[in-house]
Amino acid sequence: MFEDKELITDDNIARVKDLLVCMEKGNEEDAIEIIDELTTIRETELYQDMGKLTRELHDAISNFGIDDSISKLAEKSIPDARERLNYVISKTDEAANQTLEAIEESIPICDNLNNQALELHDSWKKFTNRELSADEFRTLSREITEFFDNTQKLSSVKGYLTTVLLAQEYQDLTGQIIKKVITLVGEVEDKLVGLVQLTGAPQVKKETESESASLDGPPVPGIAHKDTVSGQDEVDDLLSSLGF
Amino acid sequence: MKILVVDDFSTMRRIIKNLLRDLGFNNTDEADDGLTALPMLKTGKYDLLVTDWNMPGMQGIDLLKAVRADESLQNIPVLMVTAEQKKEQIVEAAQAGVNGYIVKPFTALILKEKLEKIFARIG
Repeated sequence: MFEDKELITDDNIARVKDLLVCMEKGNEEDAIEIIDELTTIRETELYQDMGKLTRELHDAISNFGIDDSISKLAEKSIPDARERLNYVISKTDEAANQTLEAIEESIPICDNLNNQALELHDSWKKFTNRELSADEFRTLSREITEFFDNTQKLSSVKGYLTTVLLAQEYQDLTGQIIKKVITLVGEVEDKLVGLVQLTGAPQVKKETESESASLDGPPVPGIAHKDTVSGQDEVDDLLSSLGF
Repeated sequence: MKILVVDDFSTMRRIIKNLLRDLGFNNTDEADDGLTALPMLKTGKYDLLVTDWNMPGMQGIDLLKAVRADESLQNIPVLMVTAEQKKEQIVEAAQAGVNGYIVKPFTALILKEKLEKIFARIG
């Protein structure tokens, strides 16, 4: 902290020599004066160093304060990000439900038409083989009319498919929102690193072992998972190795 | 054949229900976690349990253990459909007596295969 070479100067050496002479002669008054002089020199250095340190600390703190993005992050951006992510959940939920609804409406229509077509096919084959009685033919002709009526429902299936198509817009919207949140997480990371450096704390140790008790959820590409399987085939292999 | 589908996400329940119906299983009920599922199972109406693992309240693995510990339910086949892919979890489920383990995302074909395997084994 103190640069001692500034203390050992020719002037100071002369002062100490004078001090020794004064003391040997018993000249207390002059000796005290020289000691006071030396003390003042020493204290001036001390104050200068303390002043320097104080200024550095002050600058560091005020730089940190001027950079109000931290408080902005905590007060605004993080709650904002939470809001955005909740919106992602509701958007994906909405899209999934719209899609499922459209599918649930469409499947019975397709099933019905399919079954009717199969029946008509059988009857038609009998008809071309001349195996159909007049009564059966009347039934067939009524069934054909019904079938044509039913095919009009295909236009509603097309409507459902369009609903499914439009529901996919969630990918665009949620993708944009998630990108923003990723940027924010990056900013928070930078600020935290700055904070760690300012406090002079030792660099954070590389990732602590995650609690094994917690559930990992869906695997995310690009994030390493220890001791996990990838895909159904590996699950099957593992289970069969256990005698399943 | 009555099936209980347990998952905390309604969309996943809906997907599984639709796939099951496609495979000819029209008689399905839903529950959103183990706590709601267990009393339903105890009515004795169900022939198969399809459950997720990670759910609030009571998790799928605990539901499986509770089913195996219950005299009236211990023989009901249990199919787990989950995003959990840790080896130790799959082993844990196997040791708890799961009859099939499907990882998400899965296909209709995988569901069909696993169900057929379960029914072939129980005859």
